[in-house]
Amino acid sequence: MNIAFIGLGIMGRPMALNLLKGGHQVTVWARRAESMQPLLDAGARAAANPVDAAQGNELVISMVADAPDVAEVMRGVAQGAAPGLVAVDMSTIAPAAARQIGVDLAAAGVDFMDAPVSGGEVGAIAGTLSIMAGGSDAAFAKAKPAFECMGKNIVHVGASGAGQVTKAANQIVTGMGVLAVAEAFAFAAKNGVDRNRVREALLGGFAYSKILENHGQRMLDRNFKPGFKSWMHEKDLNIVMQTAHELGLCLPGSAATAQMFNAMVGSGMGEEDSIAVLKLLERLSGQE
Amino acid sequence: MKVGFIGLGAMGRPMALHLQRAGHELSVWARRPESAAGLPATLCATPAELGRSCEVVFTIITSSADVEAVALGTNGLSEGMAPDSVLVDCSTIAPDAARRIAATLAEKGIHMLDAPVSGGAQGAIDATLAIMAGGDAAVLERVRPLLACLGKRIVHIGPNGAGQVAKACNQMIMVAAIQAAAEAIRLAAASGVDCAKVKQALAGGSAASRVLDVMGERMVKRDFAAGIEARLHHKDFGLVLEAARKSGVPVPLTASVAQQLNALMAQGWGKDDTSSLLRVLEG
Repeated sequence: MNIAFIGLGIMGRPMALNLLKGGHQVTVWARRAESMQPLLDAGARAAANPVDAAQGNELVISMVADAPDVAEVMRGVAQGAAPGLVAVDMSTIAPAAARQIGVDLAAAGVDFMDAPVSGGEVGAIAGTLSIMAGGSDAAFAKAKPAFECMGKNIVHVGASGAGQVTKAANQIVTGMGVLAVAEAFAFAAKNGVDRNRVREALLGGFAYSKILENHGQRMLDRNFKPGFKSWMHEKDLNIVMQTAHELGLCLPGSAATAQMFNAMVGSGMGEEDSIAVLKLLERLSGQE
Repeated sequence: MKVGFIGLGAMGRPMALHLQRAGHELSVWARRPESAAGLPATLCATPAELGRSCEVVFTIITSSADVEAVALGTNGLSEGMAPDSVLVDCSTIAPDAARRIAATLAEKGIHMLDAPVSGGAQGAIDATLAIMAGGDAAVLERVRPLLACLGKRIVHIGPNGAGQVAKACNQMIMVAAIQAAAEAIRLAAASGVDCAKVKQALAGGSAASRVLDVMGERMVKRDFAAGIEARLHHKDFGLVLEAARKSGVPVPLTASVAQQLNALMAQGWGKDDTSSLLRVLEG
């Protein structure tokens, strides 16, 4: 398939590479020309801008930072699109913003799908991302071969915006999960108990989770390198809290968690992995 | 002085009347002209027309977007107001938005003060509002005689946006206090204790506060008719949390109270008084 890929950051670059490995013809565009080079070396073609990227391709995929970036890129895509083009945004943005972009693109004859991912840089490189898609059946069918090059657990959740709702739900669970593990470790340590053994014991019971296993181990190793930067988790939880505000939805746990990540960003820990919330807890409890 | 007024709601209407009664020549513009009915004022067709005829214009409307549209939009104030005239915005909006609007108006030589108020509809009627002003000190002195018609305590907080920051602080403290009063009254009632007597006793001690007096009384009497509509506090909490986020300042209590406000909105009590936070706890 002829696919255009826009946005070649930490996530986008390996995702586009996996499309090439899957035998697709890939056109790339990124704001900074130097981020395109590794893809061009691997056989991709360079587009001059998003308008150009859309021309002659059946599928356009974007992976950028935030809703205004997606809207801007997609305005260009709509200009260059032939009728029936499918455009898939895999960034994490607000569900309401995704729905609006879908409406705007429909007017230009483009079928838009939101398909954010979970699994981080590791999952992007390995091609094992979880992909949560929202949009039409036809768009999903079109994008599925591309999704299969980038991810493993691929779910068509529902209509436009449903993918972003799912991603927001994912961030609620992972955000509170990281905080829960960090609090459990702070609790154990302040009580003078070896947290390595606490983790080991908990892994066998109902408290088992991937976060306890993987993130918990990195907390014990005090390896706070990202992974998933805490400012990004803060951004994602802000999407959750703004949506809750608009809908009249009471989310006390998410609100408390969002404030912990807010404190991390404010105290200069934004570039560290979100598991560094453990350090913040230790500081607050005099455990440094 | 020729004074313009935009936003003739529960707060704005009595404020406009005070200015008129103090001898100022009042012009108004209203999105819904019927809200200007019965006011001794000249009704203008657009904010621009109002701006052309006034030296000082007051606005007290709901959102940042509303103020932006009225001030800078098509047929907005900036199309009519003369250089050296003053816009006094008494709305509660984002500090960022206030700074942005002031900077745009300054390009045309129009001054702006952000001057949000606290004291509610009763304070507006009694002309006892607290006024928190952001902007140039000399401009504030020029309009101080007008503000003195509206409130008792007029404080120059700092440059543009500073008034809105102060208002955000005001809302954080006040609504958290309403939540605290609601939780205390709920606990008293659930423990089989007369909450009116609890409130009476607390009023004499360290927990005494204006919120406990006014909102606590509403809770005890179960009179949830607004005062200030809870939806406005809900809106303000959105602004506060956004400002906290931009500054990287953790506000755990504010964030928690915001969730109770979200629950209040979900129950359909947005147009009732914020003392309805008690009803959220009652489930």
